[in-house]
Amino acid sequence: MKPLVLEQVSKQYGEKTAVNRISLEVEAGEIYGLLGANGAGKTTTMRMVLGLIYPDAGNIFYQGRPYSQEQLSMLGYLPEERGMYPKVKISDQIIYLARLRGMNRKDADRNLKLWLEKFNISEYYNMKIEELSKGNQQKIQFIASVIHDPKILILDEAFSGLDPVNVELLKKTVKELRDGGKTILFSTHRMEHVEELCRNITIMHRSNPVIQGNLKDIKKRFPRERVIVGADQPIRGLETVSGVQRVEELENGSGYAVWIDREETAQQLLHYAMKQTVLTRFELLEPTLNEIFIRSVGESNE
Amino acid sequence: MNNFMAVVSFTLRNKMKTKSFIVTTIIIAVILSIGVNLPYIISQFKSEGGATKVGYTLSNLPEVTEPLKTYFDTNEGTNIHLVSYPDQGSQEGNEQVLKQGIKDGEISGYILLEEDAAAGFPKVTYKSESLMESSVTRTLRTGLQAVKVDYVIKDAQLSDAQKNLLLMPVQIEAAQISVMDNTGTGKTVEQQGLAMGFVYAMIIVLFMGIFITSQLIATEITAEKSSRVMEILVTSVAPLKQMFGKITGMSLVGLLQIVVYILVFLINVSLPHNKDLLAGWNLNLGDIDPLLYVYALVFYLTGYFLYSTLCAAVGSMVSRTEDLAQAMMPITMLALAGFYIGIFGMSSPDSMLIKTASFIPFFSPFAMFLRIGLTTPAWWEIVLSLALLAAAIFVLGWISAKIYRTGVLMYGKRPTFKELRKAMKAYKV
Repeated sequence: MKPLVLEQVSKQYGEKTAVNRISLEVEAGEIYGLLGANGAGKTTTMRMVLGLIYPDAGNIFYQGRPYSQEQLSMLGYLPEERGMYPKVKISDQIIYLARLRGMNRKDADRNLKLWLEKFNISEYYNMKIEELSKGNQQKIQFIASVIHDPKILILDEAFSGLDPVNVELLKKTVKELRDGGKTILFSTHRMEHVEELCRNITIMHRSNPVIQGNLKDIKKRFPRERVIVGADQPIRGLETVSGVQRVEELENGSGYAVWIDREETAQQLLHYAMKQTVLTRFELLEPTLNEIFIRSVGESNE
Repeated sequence: MNNFMAVVSFTLRNKMKTKSFIVTTIIIAVILSIGVNLPYIISQFKSEGGATKVGYTLSNLPEVTEPLKTYFDTNEGTNIHLVSYPDQGSQEGNEQVLKQGIKDGEISGYILLEEDAAAGFPKVTYKSESLMESSVTRTLRTGLQAVKVDYVIKDAQLSDAQKNLLLMPVQIEAAQISVMDNTGTGKTVEQQGLAMGFVYAMIIVLFMGIFITSQLIATEITAEKSSRVMEILVTSVAPLKQMFGKITGMSLVGLLQIVVYILVFLINVSLPHNKDLLAGWNLNLGDIDPLLYVYALVFYLTGYFLYSTLCAAVGSMVSRTEDLAQAMMPITMLALAGFYIGIFGMSSPDSMLIKTASFIPFFSPFAMFLRIGLTTPAWWEIVLSLALLAAAIFVLGWISAKIYRTGVLMYGKRPTFKELRKAMKAYKV
């Protein structure tokens, strides 16, 4: 039984449809990516999963059961807009939040100390949020969402506003949680994170799920249309090969990026280039998620 | 239930830890102590100061000033002593000398007398550097009145007993009785004064307690919203539990504060010097009907819950603390109206306005308490008033909870009622 299942879930705000019949399933030990432009319905979907808003149609099942107050202690939520009590001691507010989710004070305190140690910030135990840097505030916020050891974790833009070192740290932690068997629903604008972390994704566009499924399968569905040709000498006339749509010289002058209409064009391109000079590199690239996203969502991405 | 207690204790602990809370409590306790001890402090100063010295010119209408001096000299308690100054020949000269007397600190003021044929008695002017020395002029007037009576009736050949009779002020005593039951023999003037003072103090405490703590609730909720911690809170605990947990926690904070004030007050009152003073005034706190204390608590709590649920609803609709005061305006007005009805009703607790207001939930904590304290409303009136209040708390609490449930997730500008209704429908609350 999958820990989190959404079946044809829809939500309307008055006339406007916020989410239109989204279905997805997340397994234990999986990070599921929810992608979409701003206003595509990601947050509404997550809020429905959290039970903040009730769906107009469709069902959400947690370990096979519908939503109830008891599920709250099973859910962990990292909201997009970060928020903690600025003037309350970190230990006080984290323990409070853990207690609200049904944990006792002693366990909460022990977990908090473990997490602070893990992030190397044990000295913040008695400090106030407003005294910390933004990156450290985010770490505390992250701890707040996992302190009660939830089975299902909902991370809305988990890594936004962090420096690369901290992104790596949190990414590592999220992976550990995944390997520990957590069910994670993950939304972001950063496609490289999705490619690294997620097995299955849903791309939402204007309330509709437009692309869904396994990340590898999705990539296979999109043709490989970009070729990197590397050479020490300049190559002339690449754009004259039939089927080539656009040629761009790489920044460091070591080659070209060529956009082609079909995969077969790549072979003709290879022949043409080899005739001119010695190639150091020739690669037919699979589409990046970024390209897939922009293609399916189009110009509406702000 | 566990969650509810967690919210209550978190609210309680955090509020009590804030510097502003501790400082306010201490400041008010200090002011209270000073206020209670003020009569004693003033009486200390008075006995040291002695009688007020008032100057006059010897030749200035001696037929009035001579008996006046005798009057003040023979009546010990009057606290005025007349000091004579010799005639300088001219009016300007006389006043000059008297002014010099004030300058040298010999006298604190002086009187000038002028013939007034129309009134048949000289016109008296009291001049001093202070503004409106009403106690001095009052004493002077009493003295002059006595002198005047003597002056007018000196030919009528009245006996001393008759004269005394003439000067004795008329006594009128007001006793409040209860016609509902025949047990009471009526309250004495002191007891009435005490009840009046107690009701007055309680109405102020009611207002301050209700108003300030409700405001705090709204502020806290808006702060939680603006710091976005709300999003985590609503996903951890049911909004209703959260709202009522907060209200309960805050009510405990308010009660605790009041208990501190009462303790400070009682400790100060039971200090030996204050005890004597109160005994001297014939005041005894035990004279207050113990039921009145119970009513004070009941109306405090009901009033608090009524206003705080409303404030919670308003607080949940506002996203930024800067906008809160404006949104709170209608509730502020209601609370102020209730407070003023209570204060103005002190002098006429039987008026139609107070009677009507004592059945309107927003005003009844003030108006009904006032009536219970100063008059004797029928038992069914009290029950009805409390029942209406309880019903209002229930209904408004229910509506507020719905608004709260919706409001906490709505960010941006303050929603209109139409938008709120729409959102409620969308959230299915």
